[in-house]
Amino acid sequence: MSRLSELTHDWQDHSYAFLDEASKRELRRKILKAIAIPGYQVPYASREVPMARGWGTGGLQVTLTLVAPHDTVKVIDQGADDSVNAANIRRFIARVAGAATTTDTLRCTLLQSRHRIPEERLLEGQILILQVPEPEPLRGVETSSAASAVLHADADYGLMWLSLYEQIVRHRRVILGASYPVMVGGRYIMAPSPIPRWDVPMLHQAAHLTILSAGREKRLYAVPPYTDVRPLEFDDVPFRIEDQGGEVCYRTGAGHKFLNELPQDDGSSRFELSDSGYGEKLLRRQAGETVEIGATYYDERGGFYHDDLLR
Amino acid sequence: MAYVAARGGEAAILEAERLYKVMLGPLGMAQVRMLTDHLPYLLDRVMGEASLYAPELAALAVAQTGGDLYEAVLLLRAYRSTQPRLAYAAPIEQDAITTVRRVSAAFKDIPGGQVLGPTLDYSHRMLEMNVLRGQPTTTNSSVDVSSTVSSSPTVFPALAAWQRQAGLLPEITADTTTPDEIPDVTREPLLFPVSRSHKLQSLARGDTGGILALGYANMRGYGAVHPTINEVRLGYADVILTHPVTGVHFSAGQVRVSSAEIVTNFAGDPHDPRLELGFSATLGWNEVKVIAASMLDLSMGKAGHASQTPEFVLYHTEPVESSGFCIHFKLPHYVTFQSSLEAMRGVKQLERADDLLEMAEKVDA
Repeated sequence: MSRLSELTHDWQDHSYAFLDEASKRELRRKILKAIAIPGYQVPYASREVPMARGWGTGGLQVTLTLVAPHDTVKVIDQGADDSVNAANIRRFIARVAGAATTTDTLRCTLLQSRHRIPEERLLEGQILILQVPEPEPLRGVETSSAASAVLHADADYGLMWLSLYEQIVRHRRVILGASYPVMVGGRYIMAPSPIPRWDVPMLHQAAHLTILSAGREKRLYAVPPYTDVRPLEFDDVPFRIEDQGGEVCYRTGAGHKFLNELPQDDGSSRFELSDSGYGEKLLRRQAGETVEIGATYYDERGGFYHDDLLR
Repeated sequence: MAYVAARGGEAAILEAERLYKVMLGPLGMAQVRMLTDHLPYLLDRVMGEASLYAPELAALAVAQTGGDLYEAVLLLRAYRSTQPRLAYAAPIEQDAITTVRRVSAAFKDIPGGQVLGPTLDYSHRMLEMNVLRGQPTTTNSSVDVSSTVSSSPTVFPALAAWQRQAGLLPEITADTTTPDEIPDVTREPLLFPVSRSHKLQSLARGDTGGILALGYANMRGYGAVHPTINEVRLGYADVILTHPVTGVHFSAGQVRVSSAEIVTNFAGDPHDPRLELGFSATLGWNEVKVIAASMLDLSMGKAGHASQTPEFVLYHTEPVESSGFCIHFKLPHYVTFQSSLEAMRGVKQLERADDLLEMAEKVDA
């Protein structure tokens, strides 16, 4: 007769990748549903994870559910791999899942990000996981989630269009900064997470899968590969990405990429690439190393790689 | 080094955590035992909000965070995420609770009697300064606590049961939903319109301070109802499980529970008015919270004020989510800030261009 201890594995503090298996199963099912209905917000239970709510717990739950030992994970915050919270999330994923980590966009299989999409184009097979603070694009015009669910069901987006129109009347342009609302697959208005407008077109007809997850608000949604994602715009008032003002990165000389403005003591500003992994590769190439750098969404003259989107 | 540029972050965050731990000092079983032995009400609050009844783990969480309660609750909730749900316990009936305290404000005396039990309600709130002078307090030997406890009855009927018999409260039919079919807010998202079980569960694990703030708003100036406390109850309840193989019901142990019932009058048909009940119960003895929460249960959905709206109340009293989101504003937001700054500068530029045009026209004229 076998001893009970021979039939079980050694006691562990937690399951592989922290979450218990039932929680992961729920998330996988909800992710599949989200992929099947692009842009639709799927409610999920959202477990507490060992990080504070609002610090990427939604993205983290998706990453923990998808990660396997053979994965390579990249984590960025505001575009930077070395931002403290990105470093912390990366350290946690590596600790509980044993996955490899990287700062190279081309080499990751899973990319968890807060507020940015990298400049190098993501490829088929890669999964972008965006952390989402507010999944409901209609929150600004309808505070009740019960009521906004009905508006989505009816594709009743008049309030949203009206709010854009009112901005133009008041300020002569749309004054939304990040988290610019998009129409997904011609059906659902979606909050793309607080990525800058610069990044919004990157979701359109993308080769990669994007999963957006809000842990605190308990909603996840997805943009499957090669799906239409169009920012809301009027025929006579086109959507506009941020004007980079012709500035270039002071470290790499790169232009037509999203830049961080760094205020200087003398009252002026200088600029650096927001995408630190890309910047690092440019610097290494300039230092004479052989570095593989992928095609970027915006070319060196600022042209976007899909020509049917930005007017 | 500027904080946004706290770069090469990994070393920095490890050092920051180390500093916190150094300042807190070493942690051992002594602290855990001190907390479980001497601060039961603190642990009850933490366990209630964590919806995890585990005094030793709660003590560890409080000790490990130096008493930062939001962090302690998060620790327990996160630990909870690693545990499978193996079974659902049977619902606890009020008259099956080993009750140590039950008071009613609605009647001078109630069936079963008023039982003050352990409380500071009528204590003079004065610091025991002698303790600081090296003279520890002693339990007054003239009160034999054990005989007081053992001579009183241990279970009490619910006052609401008497009110139903008297036709003051509407009759209720027994709910036959099996425990594992009751919606579980720890396994499903909170959705609106909210189910009553999710409402009560959310209140039970709500932030004590938040529940009090919104409950107080309802009691003080924004209330839709005039409340009376039907009963407040503290006691011990058996966690009754069904053995998965033999089907035998057994007690897995006892937990401290608290509950409150609030009534309002003139509910329902104006010509045949009834009382209406608000209810709340939590793991642990959390008197202030259950009173405020039963108030919210009663007033939610009644009127238009935000503090009576289930979505407003339940979302914003969730301790882990509200505290987490609050502190997340410490994270860098320079990309979003810059994006909105660009939009603002764009508007300014439009205006400036207009001003220039106007000036040019004046010069021309």
